[in-house]
Amino acid sequence: MNEDAVRFEHVTVVANGVTILEDVSASVPMGSCTMVVGPNGAGKTTLLQALLGQIRHSGHIHIARSEEGRTLRIGYVPQRLSFDRGMPLTVLELLASPWQRRPLWFGVGQEHFERAQQALERVHASGLARRRIGALSGGELQRVLVAFALLNEPELLVLDEPTAGMDVHGEQVFCELIEELRRTHGFTQIMVSHDIATVTHHASHVLCLNRQLIAEGPPREVLTRDNLRKAFGVHAGLAKLEALPPESPEAACSAKKNDA
Amino acid sequence: MLELQPILARLTQWSAVESLRSPTIQHALVALLLMAPTAASMGVQVVTFRMAFFSDAISHSAFAGVALGLLLSIDPRVSTPAFGVLVAVAIVAYMRRSELPSDTITGVVFAAVVAAGLAAISRERDVARTVQTYVYGDVLTVAPSDLWLLLALFLLVAAFQVIAYNHTMVMGVSPVVAEVHGVRVARLQYLFAVLLALVVMFAVRTVGVFLVTAMLIVPATAARNLARTAGSMFWWAQAIAITSACAGLLISLDERINTATGATVVLVAFLWFLLSALVAYRRAPRRP
Repeated sequence: MNEDAVRFEHVTVVANGVTILEDVSASVPMGSCTMVVGPNGAGKTTLLQALLGQIRHSGHIHIARSEEGRTLRIGYVPQRLSFDRGMPLTVLELLASPWQRRPLWFGVGQEHFERAQQALERVHASGLARRRIGALSGGELQRVLVAFALLNEPELLVLDEPTAGMDVHGEQVFCELIEELRRTHGFTQIMVSHDIATVTHHASHVLCLNRQLIAEGPPREVLTRDNLRKAFGVHAGLAKLEALPPESPEAACSAKKNDA
Repeated sequence: MLELQPILARLTQWSAVESLRSPTIQHALVALLLMAPTAASMGVQVVTFRMAFFSDAISHSAFAGVALGLLLSIDPRVSTPAFGVLVAVAIVAYMRRSELPSDTITGVVFAAVVAAGLAAISRERDVARTVQTYVYGDVLTVAPSDLWLLLALFLLVAAFQVIAYNHTMVMGVSPVVAEVHGVRVARLQYLFAVLLALVVMFAVRTVGVFLVTAMLIVPATAARNLARTAGSMFWWAQAIAITSACAGLLISLDERINTATGATVVLVAFLWFLLSALVAYRRAPRRP
């Protein structure tokens, strides 16, 4: 399918007199693994907030429609959460809450219990069902939040730097998990990442951002020394561009999808 | 309208506690048995959303509400809840649009409503006299007509909790995640603020401005310490609120003790909290 899942058209965000995003026009191809890269303060999270309707912006954000004619269903995994870690909400209760009509004080119903268990199995976290969400480690909470997003049966999964605070191995495992889910569920993915190595290994489409769009396209075309220097400044030389896979990752991704 | 007194008299005629045969005490008991669970169930969300200060600001707007009522010749029993609702909606609307921290916004509004109340009290003696009722509150002065209003509020809050409890729990984790996944966050925030304002304004007349927030958060906080799930937190809050209300009323009526009922109820709830803190401490994993 050639249609874009999301198209940003001249998106500008100004907050408290500061321009956070300026005239950004970019696209997220349908079925792609699109990653947004850029330095701190580049407006990566703001771009996602605008997409989710959480921040005022000028310009237009066009989200594609499904075959049934409705806007694509969105799943969202945030960067980090600031919530009361002492609240006695269990993983199972969180996963049932938006969809179960019966109040939680009468327990989680069998149907929602099974759905939640399946979602946890998909993210390899079935052992976490009865744990309090406040007692989870950062990596465990991210998996639970992915399971939560999957329960919405997303056609577009939005992830805002979900691996922030994870070590290199944890990040790798998490990205492989998302890639596996994308292959099986067939959703389009847009994810903010601070790590160029992650982008080179997993992205099929890259948006390079520093308040303005610097470049977009396949990683090999976007992650050039010139573009990275424009976005990140002198440290751009640290990116190992030779680590990029020999063929275009976009082709690799679609090949994997066809296999599935 | 259905007469309450014959029902209460029949229910309490065999009571071993002499004082329960008095209509005033019966009304107080019914008021507490409606108010305590209503406040405690809202308290679960107040604790989860960290809104204790918000409820304090609403309760303190009672003074300005009374003044406004007298100024506009409206019964304070109507003007105070109406003003409380207005203040609650204004705070939520500003919070949703402003970058300022929520406690700062609440603090500014708190200061404004207290100042308005004090200004009115200093000027008008009538206001000062009526405000006394709200400062300390007295559950023993609850009229039968108030009980019907309280029952309506109890049912309204119960309906809200049946429909919205699950969604508010997700909002407690992250309003953005909740909204993206289909929860109507803005609608629930406003609805919750309006109901909370009504509960607070009713509770002000029974326990007084100083103790309203305690009625909301002490049972819910003790429940949080004891509960292992969000579902059971609700039931623990109910059990603690109801037992505290009954025990508090009976203790306060004892001739040897003879204390203010609202304060005694809160003190019993606080004993529950101490017990719950001990349980939470014993459950917590030890640091090496």
